[in-house]
Amino acid sequence: MTNFTLGKYVPYNSLIHRLDARVKLLSMVIFMVMIFFKFASIPMNFIVYGILFIFMYIIMRIAHIRLISLFNQMKPLWIMMLFLFVINILMPQSKDGNFFELWKGFKIYYISIINTLYIVFRLIIMLSLTLVLTSSTKPLELTGALEWYMTPLKVIHFPVHEIAMTISLALRFIPTLLEETDRIMKAQSSRGVDFEHGKFKEKINAVISLIVPLFISAFQRSDELANAMEARGYDPSAKRTRYRISKWKVKDTITLLITLIFLGGTICLMVFNVDLYALIMSLCA
Amino acid sequence: MPISFTNVFYTYSPKSPLAFAALKDINVTIEDHSFTALIGQTGSGKSTLVQHINGLLRQSEGTIDVNGFILEAGKKNKKIKELRKNVGLVFQFPEYQLFEETVLKDVMFGPKNFGVNEKEAREAAIDALSKVYIDKSLWDKSPFELSGGQRRRVAIAGIIALHPQVLILDEPTAGLDPQGAKEIMDLFKMIHSSGTTVIMVTHDMNNVLEYCSNVIVMKDGRAVKVSTPIELFKDDETIASIGLEEPMVISFAKKLIKKEINISLDEVKNEASLALLIKKGREVL
Repeated sequence: MTNFTLGKYVPYNSLIHRLDARVKLLSMVIFMVMIFFKFASIPMNFIVYGILFIFMYIIMRIAHIRLISLFNQMKPLWIMMLFLFVINILMPQSKDGNFFELWKGFKIYYISIINTLYIVFRLIIMLSLTLVLTSSTKPLELTGALEWYMTPLKVIHFPVHEIAMTISLALRFIPTLLEETDRIMKAQSSRGVDFEHGKFKEKINAVISLIVPLFISAFQRSDELANAMEARGYDPSAKRTRYRISKWKVKDTITLLITLIFLGGTICLMVFNVDLYALIMSLCA
Repeated sequence: MPISFTNVFYTYSPKSPLAFAALKDINVTIEDHSFTALIGQTGSGKSTLVQHINGLLRQSEGTIDVNGFILEAGKKNKKIKELRKNVGLVFQFPEYQLFEETVLKDVMFGPKNFGVNEKEAREAAIDALSKVYIDKSLWDKSPFELSGGQRRRVAIAGIIALHPQVLILDEPTAGLDPQGAKEIMDLFKMIHSSGTTVIMVTHDMNNVLEYCSNVIVMKDGRAVKVSTPIELFKDDETIASIGLEEPMVISFAKKLIKKEINISLDEVKNEASLALLIKKGREVL
């Protein structure tokens, strides 16, 4: 539980940390879109994923994020990936192309394996993107950025500030709830609950002994928080000034440019159906 | 057999920018059947230390011997459950760990986890509940219907029902009214007198003086002084350097001594014993 780092800000002073939250958020969204582009051929898709991953790895190095923390985050996803793999094999999207026969009448299409691999690669890149964003950006900055992007919506009376506040509170309480989880797990372990071993039924009981107190304290916390805000005269519709004013700097412009170059590059590759793999193969031959 | 710490170190989130050395070279022995207080300022490592005694935290370096269970750094002890049965740990604000439908079931939860059968668990629970003065009429109620103080006592009963050889209490009186705090302290005194080793983390020096036989003072992750309470409170220098507050009766007695009233500090325990000493001092005059 202690090495659970999802959504946890890690206070380094790297270039990535000092970037404006707005440019980080925008770049993350753009890169996420890029992952879902479809290129000329199957090897070409993997080439692009590879390039994106190498790029992400460099970013992670700059932001002092170790690869191990990315894999720690993947841990809970293995089961999902396995599930996707089984589903993809049992229900192939298309029945053309090559296949091999595992045993009589049970065909496994290569395309379904490749589809699963796509998803796995996309997940890895998406996770590394969110990891970079959340561990290099303070939750408050992040919400500030969100609020900034949503400002135009104020015209149609969309509750921008309220939503930003809700999100920042939710983010703020992730570490608190994790700490609480850790505390309750320890308390129940002292009462003989074994969270790691045991039969299925025992595990269910263990989880219940964790979830019930956790929910109760979460509700209590939110109640107290609402009262505390009320007591300080919090009014969501009031006009407010900012404590932190983020300034757009040259490095932010450069970051945005790099992102746009990636976006433009991938769009070109897609539109013009460039197949680097075929190109390389033909050059070699 | 005693509990002994040999060269114990513990660091939270090691190898990260959030790394924090909570325990530094702890060498302490807690005698059997003692009532030991663990005092020190917030963040001095008291709670971290007690969580090592039942293996909830594993030291980074050093050895801990708890009644013959040897816990070594970096090694897994397979008998950890047996250790936890013998060492009951009551966390700070234990009322947050209640989750069962009824008070009785919640107290039975611990013993059942340690393999006690339904009937014996029930008996242990009833016995523990009557020890903490929870009325029979409350046994079938939901723990969430009780008051804060009652919930605290139910949670403590949940640990007492395990009949541990060592009972660890992390600030058991925090947030209780004086009457409730006294009742609970008297309960621990009774449990102690029945042969249980009691270790208590506390900020209340009055309780330390009145109930404890030994005291361990923690400062910045080190055990800086191990002595009897009265020895500690006589030592004005240490008290000042650690930023402790003297028990009320001690500071009163010291003032009386300055006014040349003959009182032996060693015999001061609480208000009643101080009053007796004053009476005696007067008779001598």
